[in-house]
Amino acid sequence: MESIIPQVLFTLFGLPITSTIVATWCAMALIIVIILLISKFMPSGLEMIVDFLNGLVSGIMSGDNAEQYLPLLGSLAIFIVVANSLGIFPILTAPTSDINTTIALSLAVFFGVHIYGIKQKGMLGYFKGLATPGIMLPFEIIGQVSRTFSLALRLFGNVISGELISAIVFSIVPLVAPLPFVALGLFFGILQSYIFTALSALYIELAVVVQEN
Amino acid sequence: MEINNPEFVITFTTILVSGIGIILGTAIPTTMQGKAVLKALDGITRQPESANDIRTTLLIAMALLESASIYVLLVILILLFANPLLAQFFG
Repeated sequence: MESIIPQVLFTLFGLPITSTIVATWCAMALIIVIILLISKFMPSGLEMIVDFLNGLVSGIMSGDNAEQYLPLLGSLAIFIVVANSLGIFPILTAPTSDINTTIALSLAVFFGVHIYGIKQKGMLGYFKGLATPGIMLPFEIIGQVSRTFSLALRLFGNVISGELISAIVFSIVPLVAPLPFVALGLFFGILQSYIFTALSALYIELAVVVQEN
Repeated sequence: MEINNPEFVITFTTILVSGIGIILGTAIPTTMQGKAVLKALDGITRQPESANDIRTTLLIAMALLESASIYVLLVILILLFANPLLAQFFG
């Protein structure tokens, strides 16, 4: 079964181009086309999307500063929804069923957390905040690394388990039986996108909030 | 029986461990998730005005609990489809 390790389609300047990279390009093109169509025929739809994402993020982050983190978190939410839903097309595989994609997304969150924290508190204040009781510094570093990995592995595991289950059912009864599992995978994809965004917002909130004595 | 064949022994053990592992690794986190849902529903019925806060916290907590069973699934997928022991011993 080749679905764990994506197959290499061709090489471009010595770099192997796998099927998931092609699917990522398709996801990017799909997002651009959908946004252009919405902005042409229904401009109020864009406002609805932004309002929805803003409500999602500001429900988790306290205060009224949620708007400045919306570009990162909203892009993550939109990309993960489209990427997870792309798996239902027969010729494409979901880009998030490749662990490289999810690790790239969670690394973006990892660096985003530190950049926002440094921007908010200043370089010295942020690193002092990380090591407030000095003994906690190693645990803090372990926590930062492990939650980055768990963010990536959670998304990857959920998507790949959905794809594998529908593939197994497809190999037994190919006609109608896989449909409920595909629908379930679609639902879990949307839920996972919400969870990824919510956890990213929570991590940024933890890095940004100023402790009051 | 090919019980002396090491490849057979590794494959047999992998299948056995995968079956037992996926049962334990999904049953225990799911039981605990059920407990979390019970408590959250209890809280919502007592204080319906704080339902939104409870729902957000519940979803995040469920995601964190779910990751335990996802780790089990990933370990078993690696064992089944890309077994490092077989590759180490038999090229």
